[in-house]
Amino acid sequence: MDWIAMATGFILILMGLYGALTERNILRIIVSFTVANTGVNLVLVAVGYMHGRTAPILDKTVPVAEAVARIIDPVPQALVLTAIVIGLGVTAMMLTYAYKLYEEKGTLDVSKCRDLKW
Amino acid sequence: MVSPMYIIAAGLGGAFLLGLLPNKWRTIPYAITLAILGIMAWIAGSWLYAFAVQGAASVEIFTAGTQPPFAINFRVGLAEASLALLTTLVGLHSALYMKDTLFKQGRQAMAVLLIFIMALCGVIFTRDVFNLFVFMELVVIATAGLVLLSADRRALGAGIKYLIVSQLVSILLLVGIIFLYHATGTLNIDDMAAAQVNLLQGGAMAFFLLFVAVLAELKPFPANGWGLDIYESAHPAFSAIFSTATGGATIYAADKMLQIGGAEWLPAATAIGIVTFVAANIFALVQNNDRRLLGYSSVAQIGLLLTVAGQRDILGDAYYYVAGGILLAHAVSKAGLFWLSGLVAQRELTDWAALRSQPVLVFAFATFLALLVGLPPFPGFYAKWDLAHHLAAEGRLWLLGLILFGALVEAAYLFRWFGYVIKREARENGLAWQSVKADVAFSAVIVAWLLAYLWGHLSGHGNLLHAVPLLFALLFLPLDWLPAKLKNVLAISGLLYWFYLNYPSYDPLQLIFAAVMLPGGALILLASFQTQKRRVGFYPAAMLMFAGLAMLIVAKSSFDFFAAWELLTVGSYFLILRGKHSEPHALSYLVFSLGGAFLILAGFAIAAQGAPDFKLAALAQVAQPYAPWVFAMLAIGFMTKTAAVGVHIWLPGAHAEAETDVSPMVSGILLKAGLFGLFMLLITMGKQQLYGVELTYVMLWIGAISALIGNLMAIFQEDAKRLLAYSSIGQMGYAVFGLALMNHLGWLMALMFVINHYIYKSMLFLSVGGIAKRTGTRLMYRMGGLITLMPLSFIAVMIGIIAMSGVPPLSGFGGRWIFYNAIMTAEYRLPMVIVFLAGPIAFLYLFRLIHTIFLGQLKDEMRKIKEAPFWIVLPQMIFVVALMVFALVPGLALRKVDLYMTQFFAGNGHLNWEGLTISSDFGYWNPVAIMVIIGVIFMTLFLWLLFVNRKAQPVKQFNIVFSGERPFRPETTHFAWNFFAPYRKALGFLTQPLVTIFWETVSELLHSAADILRRFYTGNGQTYAIHLLGFVIIVYMLWMGGKP
Amino acid sequence: MIRNFAVFLLLLGLGAIFLHLLDGYVPASELNQTARYYAEHTAQDLGAANIVTAIIVTYRGLDTLGEVTVLFLASTIIGMVLAQGSKRQRALQRKLPASGELLTTGSRLLVPLILLFGAYVFVNGHLTPGGGFQGGAIIASAALLVLLTDPLKRFSHKLIALVESISGLVFVGVGVLGMLLAGGFLDNRILPTGEFGALFSAGAIPLIYSFVGLKVGAEFTSMLTNLAETEKS
Repeated sequence: MDWIAMATGFILILMGLYGALTERNILRIIVSFTVANTGVNLVLVAVGYMHGRTAPILDKTVPVAEAVARIIDPVPQALVLTAIVIGLGVTAMMLTYAYKLYEEKGTLDVSKCRDLKW
Repeated sequence: MVSPMYIIAAGLGGAFLLGLLPNKWRTIPYAITLAILGIMAWIAGSWLYAFAVQGAASVEIFTAGTQPPFAINFRVGLAEASLALLTTLVGLHSALYMKDTLFKQGRQAMAVLLIFIMALCGVIFTRDVFNLFVFMELVVIATAGLVLLSADRRALGAGIKYLIVSQLVSILLLVGIIFLYHATGTLNIDDMAAAQVNLLQGGAMAFFLLFVAVLAELKPFPANGWGLDIYESAHPAFSAIFSTATGGATIYAADKMLQIGGAEWLPAATAIGIVTFVAANIFALVQNNDRRLLGYSSVAQIGLLLTVAGQRDILGDAYYYVAGGILLAHAVSKAGLFWLSGLVAQRELTDWAALRSQPVLVFAFATFLALLVGLPPFPGFYAKWDLAHHLAAEGRLWLLGLILFGALVEAAYLFRWFGYVIKREARENGLAWQSVKADVAFSAVIVAWLLAYLWGHLSGHGNLLHAVPLLFALLFLPLDWLPAKLKNVLAISGLLYWFYLNYPSYDPLQLIFAAVMLPGGALILLASFQTQKRRVGFYPAAMLMFAGLAMLIVAKSSFDFFAAWELLTVGSYFLILRGKHSEPHALSYLVFSLGGAFLILAGFAIAAQGAPDFKLAALAQVAQPYAPWVFAMLAIGFMTKTAAVGVHIWLPGAHAEAETDVSPMVSGILLKAGLFGLFMLLITMGKQQLYGVELTYVMLWIGAISALIGNLMAIFQEDAKRLLAYSSIGQMGYAVFGLALMNHLGWLMALMFVINHYIYKSMLFLSVGGIAKRTGTRLMYRMGGLITLMPLSFIAVMIGIIAMSGVPPLSGFGGRWIFYNAIMTAEYRLPMVIVFLAGPIAFLYLFRLIHTIFLGQLKDEMRKIKEAPFWIVLPQMIFVVALMVFALVPGLALRKVDLYMTQFFAGNGHLNWEGLTISSDFGYWNPVAIMVIIGVIFMTLFLWLLFVNRKAQPVKQFNIVFSGERPFRPETTHFAWNFFAPYRKALGFLTQPLVTIFWETVSELLHSAADILRRFYTGNGQTYAIHLLGFVIIVYMLWMGGKP
Repeated sequence: MIRNFAVFLLLLGLGAIFLHLLDGYVPASELNQTARYYAEHTAQDLGAANIVTAIIVTYRGLDTLGEVTVLFLASTIIGMVLAQGSKRQRALQRKLPASGELLTTGSRLLVPLILLFGAYVFVNGHLTPGGGFQGGAIIASAALLVLLTDPLKRFSHKLIALVESISGLVFVGVGVLGMLLAGGFLDNRILPTGEFGALFSAGAIPLIYSFVGLKVGAEFTSMLTNLAETEKS
């Protein structure tokens, strides 16, 4: 069962990348990358998941003494938060670029940016 | 010492602080930005000082009061501190450089810049994989923002491509990190390294993803189209940071990854690095846009660094010295070049000719190129030397070959560019001068020289910047504003004084070469008094060449020898480039010379087999099976300099197109460097056999064919200087032949050629140069009848060709005499016949010099020509005297050498010197008697002629008719045009420029391959992402395929 | 078409790589050394009940600082880039349809509550699920709601910048204090760790996380408004 989340994550990554590499419209590309990023985040969380354990928050149900045996790995949880935020920052950047692209070229087609080559 | 954490805190705090200021403010935010960058640089610098000077050990910096791997930690050591200092300094200078742009964009842009620099420092310091990822993402986003600062609208597209690719990279990176964390249970780099990822379940695969993603950030070939676009379109100051600081930080990140992966991954890094290095350099060949070219070169250099990182296993302690040398050379030169590019208004390479209006900028440009190519005395030179030696010692010869090939291609396009700067027409307003920008660029020049000093200081071979000759040559740079005559006096006295100083320490062989090179050079420099004004750039170049020569003949170790060799090559390149039409010829000279030099480097490296200090004398002890290979490489390298057939095509143009006083220097003196090398080689290594072939025998053939072809080519020349140039090929062929005879007399004859060729070739080049100066042409059929107008030049040419053709009574005959004696003692008949054949051919072309230039009809437009200028004639007259003296008493120079040589060929027919008579096994030679006999015969004939011709009627010069037709194309009616047409019919097939065609084809192939293959960079961002994906998968498949 | 096929093939290759990864993946049954350390030491060392928060704010605080900086960077660049091209303050040419009673009233009712909830989430970050980022995002959603209701609504850039910068400075400052007063950069024990599980506990974590919350909220709002202001005719 555990691998379902992970496999889903990988499939999302592949789907997202397919969109990102084949679509011409920059907005679609951005959305595709968001999908792929979601996949990555899913994989991240799935790696930290351990069957039958609970969230790494210590309270009455999970006393400090039992923590080692009861909680899942907290590190991927922390990492995924960072990854999400960074992904968001990059997405925001790309949106800005999309806006600039439209403003300058009147198009959202990234393949129009080919004046630099070779 | 302040914790490096403050670099991060300062950068961030500064950026947040800028956010507090009103949007409209400019000066205060700018001041804050500069101050913060300054503080960051100061912190990095103080650490560097602690490590480098005080020898402190590297320090771990913990965060959160917790030990790693449970909290993120930084490490700062020598490498980190230097990289951080580099990053912050480049950032600071670029901020100064971008003042206008930053003022326009306001505090936000400044904040982004601060964060960018901070993040790069973070990448350098951090020891945590995920933290590395965070900093790298910061770099990506900041890059995407700063790219838009450019005035170039196309930067938008570049940014989009960059972001698309970066997203892909970060996906791979994250997946790799999390699986690696799962496999090792840690995020700390050192713990991961200790965990031996390759052995862990799933560890190798996870590491592969992480590794390949970090490599992708290095813009490896072919997944690098996006990086190139940024170089081309971004603000030059940003490109400077992107190339140097980002490149440096990322390569350091790759280095950390290799620490995790361990030795198993080094070959992968090597392969990717070297492919990138070679491919990017080849692609750069066809670039016309300056910044894109710099981009390709940056990619190449990072590839080279990756290759070096892949050699970690064999470099040992030298790793940081080598990698640091290459990295800093790349960084400083690339930053400097990008900064310079901001001063040039247009983007074609040829537009850089605008730099010429400010000689200081040309100096800066030359410094950057030398730094980038790794010429002495810059760090890259030392680094390349050490790298080559380590590679050769471990038998990684393929890699060494590829590195040297890539470096040669790089030198070719960079120095072609330099040729444009010196030679091309500068556009009006081509220079967008801003003093602050120039200052920033010039600061890089200063750093370059400081680094040169530092690397010399750290090298185990002595500091080249402590070599007096080199310093003397460099002295002419600041003195370049003085009038040329003054500098000339200084140069001549310098050469003479150095000779005087070292005179007692030379052995006889060295003495002959030293005499030709130093006082000989001084003598030719007399002709330079002719020039007026300041003659900017001549003296540093000339003295650099002489410095190299002076250092060459006293070199004891292979390192000194090679350094001197490179110095004289570079100096002479600058010198040759000064000729009016010499741009392509100077380039081909440089490329061939560097190619030869790289062979020499490889030869020395293989010979040394890892010995840190390799004495030249130790060449004698090189073991089989290396010895013949070493011999072949060194011999080819030296013969490139003597222009042996096959690698001779650079010589005619280079020598003929050089300035009047430069031609004799590069012909009469510089060629001797190659002979000196061959002497050194044969003395130490002697005869070597490769696959059963005697290598000296091959040399014998090469010498003979060079003599024949050189002379044959010479007879068909119309251009007097070209004729002399081809003749040099022939003459050097004789000398090589003599050396390759491997007997006493052969060597003596080669030495005779050293002296003779210097004297008469210098003299002839000066005469012809003087004539060309007066007549305005070098084409002989345009001249004629100059004998009465230029009698002194006539005498010089007359004496010169008598000496050169080897007829009695002058010294050329002595050379011949020794020569014939020498071949009598050797047993090679066929090459001997060829050399015999070449003799009379020499006479054919020499005869033309007298016949076509001085005799016959005087041209109408030349009737008012005067004798060549005094300063050009003076050295010729001195040469005439010298020739006479040397002809009368050759023992003066040769006797000691003759004796000296007996130690190499014990009991093998040396000469007997009795009074003025010299005798060998086959006969004797009394120069004085010969001179007297010839004199008597000459006078008798001359008097008789006068007597029988006393009734002759002088005809007025122009008392002729043209049969009613006025010839308007002199070359069709002049009898001296195509003078040897019949011979051409008979022997022309021998002069087919096969070699030229061969090399041109090589160059053409490289260029067209580059031009076709670069279409691969279609300009589409998604295509670039596909390239990257393809790169990952190819590396994956190779990795899987390569696994046992 | 060829291109799509090529992409498809390459992604198959990437899929193979992922399969290879999955193949070598063995789910852990025990916490690894790092996670075990956190499970055992977080409570007594840092006094935070939410281990993830302790990791984010303290153990891996540098990441978080970087993360916050990513947002700051993004919002700064957006501000910079959008200010470059278009002329601001250009009034909308066309008339917008009214937002509707429901939306207007609803947002008036909800915005204070959302803000309060956001603040609650980040103040309690060290005790319960959630924290600065989550809280900040919630706060920004209030701004989004306002913008949805009235697309012409303009937030004060000055105020946003002020909040953004001051919270950033506080974050860095607290980090530096950690170096001066405690064990290293971003060490939370510059304040007493207090009683485990209480609101005022875990040293500087609630302080940092509150400012992170403010900062994230401000940055998201800034991005939203900047992008909203590009709305023209």
